[in-house]
Amino acid sequence: MKNLPSANPNYALQLATERRKNFTSWILTAPALLWLIFFFLVPYLIVIIYSFLTADIYDVKFEFTLDAYRQSFTPAYMHTFYLSFRLALLTTLLCLLLGFPVAYYIARAKDKVKNNLLIFIIIPFWTNLIIRIFSWRIFLAYNGVLNNLLLGLGLISKPLEIMRTDLAVILVMVYVYLPYMILPLYSVLEKLDWTLLNAAMDLGANEVKSFFRITLPLSKEGIFAGGLLVFIPALGSYLIPQLVGNQRSLYLGQVITYKVKNIPRNWPMASALSLTLLLIVALFLLLIYFLYRRGKFRKQV
Amino acid sequence: MEEIRLECLSKDFDGFVAVENVSLSIQSGELFSFLGPSGCGKTTLLRMIAGFEIPSTGRILIGNTDITDLPPYKRQVNTIFQNYSLFPHMTVFDNVAFGLRIRKSPKNEITKRVREMLSLVKMEDQANKFPEQISGGQKQRVAIARALINQPKVLLLDEPLAALDLKLRQHMLIELMNIHDAVGITFIYVTHDQGEAMSISDRVAVMNYGNIIQEGPPDDIYERPNSVFSAYFIGETNLISGEVIGIEDDYVQIRCPDGAGSSFNIDSTFHIQPTLGQELTVSLRPEKIAISRNKPRYQDDINILRGVIEDILYLGSHTQYIVNVGALKIRVFSQHKRVYFDDTALDWEEPVWLFWHDTDSWLINEIPENVLTVDEISEGGINHYQRSIKRPAIK
Repeated sequence: MKNLPSANPNYALQLATERRKNFTSWILTAPALLWLIFFFLVPYLIVIIYSFLTADIYDVKFEFTLDAYRQSFTPAYMHTFYLSFRLALLTTLLCLLLGFPVAYYIARAKDKVKNNLLIFIIIPFWTNLIIRIFSWRIFLAYNGVLNNLLLGLGLISKPLEIMRTDLAVILVMVYVYLPYMILPLYSVLEKLDWTLLNAAMDLGANEVKSFFRITLPLSKEGIFAGGLLVFIPALGSYLIPQLVGNQRSLYLGQVITYKVKNIPRNWPMASALSLTLLLIVALFLLLIYFLYRRGKFRKQV
Repeated sequence: MEEIRLECLSKDFDGFVAVENVSLSIQSGELFSFLGPSGCGKTTLLRMIAGFEIPSTGRILIGNTDITDLPPYKRQVNTIFQNYSLFPHMTVFDNVAFGLRIRKSPKNEITKRVREMLSLVKMEDQANKFPEQISGGQKQRVAIARALINQPKVLLLDEPLAALDLKLRQHMLIELMNIHDAVGITFIYVTHDQGEAMSISDRVAVMNYGNIIQEGPPDDIYERPNSVFSAYFIGETNLISGEVIGIEDDYVQIRCPDGAGSSFNIDSTFHIQPTLGQELTVSLRPEKIAISRNKPRYQDDINILRGVIEDILYLGSHTQYIVNVGALKIRVFSQHKRVYFDDTALDWEEPVWLFWHDTDSWLINEIPENVLTVDEISEGGINHYQRSIKRPAIK
């Protein structure tokens, strides 16, 4: 009987303390919560509502319709989705292929060198993205640094047309998103127990087999994390295709912007496309999550 | 099965000589230990046999095959790593099957052999668990199974018991011996723990500073150390230095200064050819000395010394006495057996007689560089002793 909470003379005090703790934590989270409600949730609700309205030249008519969604699933727009998907996937794969050796090398470097190398990965973030893209434009332009260099060396006779092609988009995309792949990969590779590779070699696996059977499976989490960090923003990227790409192959981000910006405007269409993209990303995340969970679950059996 | 030969093996890491000119041959089926303090080069030696380090000079042969330059995955040698290095993303079964899968053995054979191996190490019922779900001792067993399934010619064990607690260590030691007897493969065992090395090995090589100091069966090394280092590293001992003053047929007489201005004479059988006036060291194990307050009856081949008890340490199975003979501290282990004489009443500051048979000491043709003080002894003299040895010059 003595141990029952109600019989405890301190119980009332405990309750009061707990209540005060709860109150304090509410106060502390309130600013962030309010911020999210007003600047994230409410705008999203507006987007959702707009996606069900009828388009007008400048604005919307408040008449419910599913036209925007119907149009989203027409072949023309599906092609845009396909292009954006292909770009995001290609960017992710190239980032993985280029980023893995770099992350591996940094993770295996001596501690002193390691930090310096990491700084090199982070330095680009100190410069504004638009400025970096413009410097790529100068570099890749018809009369740009690259072409002048190659012409000067006599390797080509006529300037290459890289600017305003899909190749330029891929190049700059990989450049911009590479650090987002390297950093999570580095963090798992850094924790990898290298003696496991010794053990694998001891058991008869050569370098290639040890890599595919030990290093790669054990860096799965980093690949997932890096992949998501690259793939999701790449899917909706606007700035890079707009600044270095051409207008023949428009990506989703560009299409959405045009629907908002160009007259006649079609805000419901822009909203519907954004929400469809959101839905795809959400489904994609869920898929990854289940794949990951299944791996974990199997581990516990 | 073939023997392993190390020929003039050296390894230097940017001027630091880790292993220096080691030549050795290990019989097939033998359980051979490298024993030495940390940094003595024993692990480097093992890593060279495994293929993780390339020797600076010398050769490694298994039978008649030179494996010196073969990569680890082409050697018929497997290793048990100190932290076991089990693959965390694989089950116990998959860990053990790893070697066979790499060699692309047929599936049903893999299953059969893995089951056999797991039953050898008594882990059949844990096959589907992951390494993080099993205990240290079990990981150890899996590591053994994973290595032995490849039927190596040699199994290398790098401090395999260091991560286990005492009871488990003793248990696994016996288990390792049983597994060794069951598979008949050559085991090369590396440890800094002299107890492990002594109890498990057919032969032991004592190492220090990259050199093999002494090599032989455990009892040989314990009873007949060839150097001050061997005597001191294996077990405990009293080292008494002195000058040979008499050589008889079956013993020599040595005059030992007691550090307080006078000296005493002791007799010892000998195996080296001493000359009169030569300075050498007597190694006298503490358990070989009897201690009593009553003067023993004089006998021809018994050494008798008079001393005063300075310290008594009761250790359960035996008591350690530190006895001052002049300024010399002599350690004596005495077991508590009343059938001989009652020594339980010995007290601090009490004058006692120390006596031992002259065949119970061992002569070493070497003088310790500095005399150990009693503080150093009680703090684990070996560490202090090691510090006092000069490092071999770096080439």
